[in-house]
Amino acid sequence: MVDTTKNTLVYTTWGPKSAKPVNPITISKLVSKAKRPLLVAGSELMKDEVMLEKAVAIASKGIPVAATGHSIKGFLDKGVEAKYNNIHSLAHFLGDKNWTGLDGKGGYDLILFFGHKKYYLNQVLSGFKNFTDLKTIAIERHFMQNASFSFGNLKPDLHVEALDELIENL
Amino acid sequence: MSNVPKGQISIEELENVHITIGKIVGAIEEKYEKTEAGGMTPKPGVSALRDWDHSLLSRYQPVYTPMCDQCCYCTFGKCDLTGNKEGACGINMEGHQAREFLLRVITGAAAHSGHGRHILHYLTDKYGKDHPIDVGPSNLLAPNIQTVTGIEPKTLGDLEPAIEYVEEQLTQLLATVHMGQEGAAIDFESKALHGGMLDHVGMEISDLAQISCLGMPKSDPEAPLAEIGMGCIDATKPMLLAIGHNVAGVANIIDYMEEKGIADQVELGGLCCTAIDMTRYQMDQGGVPHAKVVGTLAKELKMIRSGIPDVIVVDEQCVRADVLQEASRLSIPVITTNDKIMYGLPNRSNDNVDDIIEDLTSGKEKGALVLDLDLLGELAPRLTLEMSPIRKEKGIKALPNEEELKVLIDKCVQCNACELVCPNNLPIMKAMEIGADGDFTKFEFVHDQCAGCGRCDQACPKEIPVLDVIEKASQKAIMEEKGHIRSGRGQISDPDIRAEGVNLVMGTTPGIIALVGCSNYPDGTKDLYKMADEMLRRNYIVLTSGCSAMDLGMYKDENGETLYEKYPSKFLGGNLINVGSCVSNSHITGTAIKVAAIFAQRNITGNFEETADYIMNRIGAVGVAWGAYSQKAASIGTGCNRYGIPVVVGPHGSKYRRALIGKPYVEEDWKVFDARNGEEMPISASPEFLLTTVETVEELMPMLAKNCIRPSDNNMGRMIKLTHYMELSQKYLGHMPEDWYKFVRSETDLPLAKREELLKILEKDQGWEIDWKRKKILSGPTTKLDVTAQPTNLKRLCKGEC
Repeated sequence: MVDTTKNTLVYTTWGPKSAKPVNPITISKLVSKAKRPLLVAGSELMKDEVMLEKAVAIASKGIPVAATGHSIKGFLDKGVEAKYNNIHSLAHFLGDKNWTGLDGKGGYDLILFFGHKKYYLNQVLSGFKNFTDLKTIAIERHFMQNASFSFGNLKPDLHVEALDELIENL
Repeated sequence: MSNVPKGQISIEELENVHITIGKIVGAIEEKYEKTEAGGMTPKPGVSALRDWDHSLLSRYQPVYTPMCDQCCYCTFGKCDLTGNKEGACGINMEGHQAREFLLRVITGAAAHSGHGRHILHYLTDKYGKDHPIDVGPSNLLAPNIQTVTGIEPKTLGDLEPAIEYVEEQLTQLLATVHMGQEGAAIDFESKALHGGMLDHVGMEISDLAQISCLGMPKSDPEAPLAEIGMGCIDATKPMLLAIGHNVAGVANIIDYMEEKGIADQVELGGLCCTAIDMTRYQMDQGGVPHAKVVGTLAKELKMIRSGIPDVIVVDEQCVRADVLQEASRLSIPVITTNDKIMYGLPNRSNDNVDDIIEDLTSGKEKGALVLDLDLLGELAPRLTLEMSPIRKEKGIKALPNEEELKVLIDKCVQCNACELVCPNNLPIMKAMEIGADGDFTKFEFVHDQCAGCGRCDQACPKEIPVLDVIEKASQKAIMEEKGHIRSGRGQISDPDIRAEGVNLVMGTTPGIIALVGCSNYPDGTKDLYKMADEMLRRNYIVLTSGCSAMDLGMYKDENGETLYEKYPSKFLGGNLINVGSCVSNSHITGTAIKVAAIFAQRNITGNFEETADYIMNRIGAVGVAWGAYSQKAASIGTGCNRYGIPVVVGPHGSKYRRALIGKPYVEEDWKVFDARNGEEMPISASPEFLLTTVETVEELMPMLAKNCIRPSDNNMGRMIKLTHYMELSQKYLGHMPEDWYKFVRSETDLPLAKREELLKILEKDQGWEIDWKRKKILSGPTTKLDVTAQPTNLKRLCKGEC
């Protein structure tokens, strides 16, 4: 079992409410319990083939993918269905109870974030934290304090291990 | 007060005595009321354009991403607003975020307008208030000023009431930021839009004044090229470095050096917009620019730490707060020249030049505040010539040598602290790791992406001067940083608009992409080059200014040409136009206003709402501030937004706290009136935002093409725009965009070469009815192609409403 909760050091804080650091197994349980989970995959995946493979593996567990930035190219190249979305627009739509989702079947109750720039994702998550009831989970290499749940700060090899454990338990 | 107009009075009994009347309260206002009452809102107050703003904000809703969950404004607090809670004064998170955004906008607007006030006073004192405004072959000299205030300035003196209006309104806006009071986010947003609009007036005042007085290029497509890059600086010469945004003082330095014949003895370089304006100074007749451009703010700390400058002169705005400390470490005297930056230095404005030089060369003082710009003109170059040998003799050492570099790299314990504090989380730890084996490629990568903030230095537990290590290890790459930038040409002229306006409104020139703003890029400077090159090849007009204009000149193609050499700079499709420095951004909105005024013959005078309505529905323009960091970038973008011009910022722009994004799936939001009959007319969802962030340039490029689509496009224009949108999506995102069919109004909107294939898709996937014999769409589109339609958001402009 990988412990992904040890290092939650941050450079600056947003405020009193911060993400709960969690282990991969906890995340897998949260995702499994969700009625409508969504993987929001970012363009940083395009810089690292290993990370892209992990995202593809998560998607292959039946979690729909909103591909932000130009990450859609990575998914389509690997034959994985994904829908392009600008992350800022997507965040706006996710907060709208009248939005019918990527497939027209309704909104989502749990959002998993992977492959994003740290500072950018923290801003997007700040919007979720303050203006929606959505559960957000970050499985990035850095602690994302504005998510509901997040991995702590991880060295690259430990991050890969944690992702493998998460995928295995999904 | 008196009704006497400004002018001169002769008193008969006093021979040869004239009394000049500068201004009589009431007289000027009356003049404009009488002669220039064109539109409905000359000099609009804070609430005058509220209806327009609310209509914009109902389609483009504010999306808040707080930078901080607390409010620390007053002694009621601090208050935790997490989850949109209310604080002690009653404001909730939404309202507080809108207020915070407003504060950024008026800070930016005040920076430009403060600059405008300073340079206008300075130039009026020097050249007189009757000095004509001369910005090139145009009758419409001041599109922003005229649209907003109703004033049609002809002289420097005419700019005075315009800057007074801006100052008064900014004070009113600042007053609304006080605790309590406004509680509705939407009205803070309206005020922010007001502040943005004011910013473009303030910027225009600044640039019109300096173009008219300082011999800057006047709508000149052949404005000369200047050298740019850290690698172009001749470090063997005494070097004078100017940093900031206000060229008034440096103009005097150039004059002094020319007059004394010492220009070739001093290497004059600049950072930020002062640098751009130095290359514009006295270039209206062509020639070789008097200075070189080092680069953007991202190069500021790097350039100082290089130890090359012998003297630094700062003026205002984007200047690091620690220039004096950094420079002092390397025995570089700093001269501050403006009230906005004084660094605690003694005021030497009334002292003798020789005395000041003595105090600075001896090291008695680290710098001087010199507000007398004539004094500065002599002081700075003389001091540079004297400091250079002194610093050489002292053996001032800036960056570590190669042995020291190795020792520093070996000290790294791979703790990751530098990466954690780095604004871009750059892989510094990895660079240190492989750098220990003498491989500096990762350092060069980090150098290119590094915004030069220096936070890594402060985080290192081993006290490694991380930025110095990055810079030393990247020396080879830095020496190669040489390019060219075209001096800012100023306005787009009236004849330019007459020639190209129709193509813009019909869409046959697919759009204007304005690359503006600062250097806080997500993935290095080259992205900007890639974006501009792609859009220029596709015949978009690319306008640029400020730091973006600089970074575009930093790369060369396989033929050794920068974009400025590769592409012409007329106001035509496929042309790259540098309008100038930060304050020249007003010429970008000014261009759109000119299309409304000159091509469409709209009355723009004091007529903001109708002008903006025209621009929003007809001119396919998108602003991009890819590396936006400053408050000024927020105000520039917000000013564009009030005109209905969408703006994209890079991912760091999410820290501005709010975006304005529409919901394409809410059909009700995407309707306008047809002014011919007042009927509602559905439109495609473009622009789909007024302000948003984008992750990568690959995502950005198709988004630019899509958001240049406008209701007024004729079929040829829509076909061209749609072709670019589809091609760019396929090229950079690897797929056909899902919403492409929503922009199809008839078969003639479809790219000719793919028409049949696309008609099949429309029939199969969207269930549209196709007449295959005539290859015609019979039913399906939700928007209609009608080139005679008059799209407007203003019901009162519809026939029968007035």
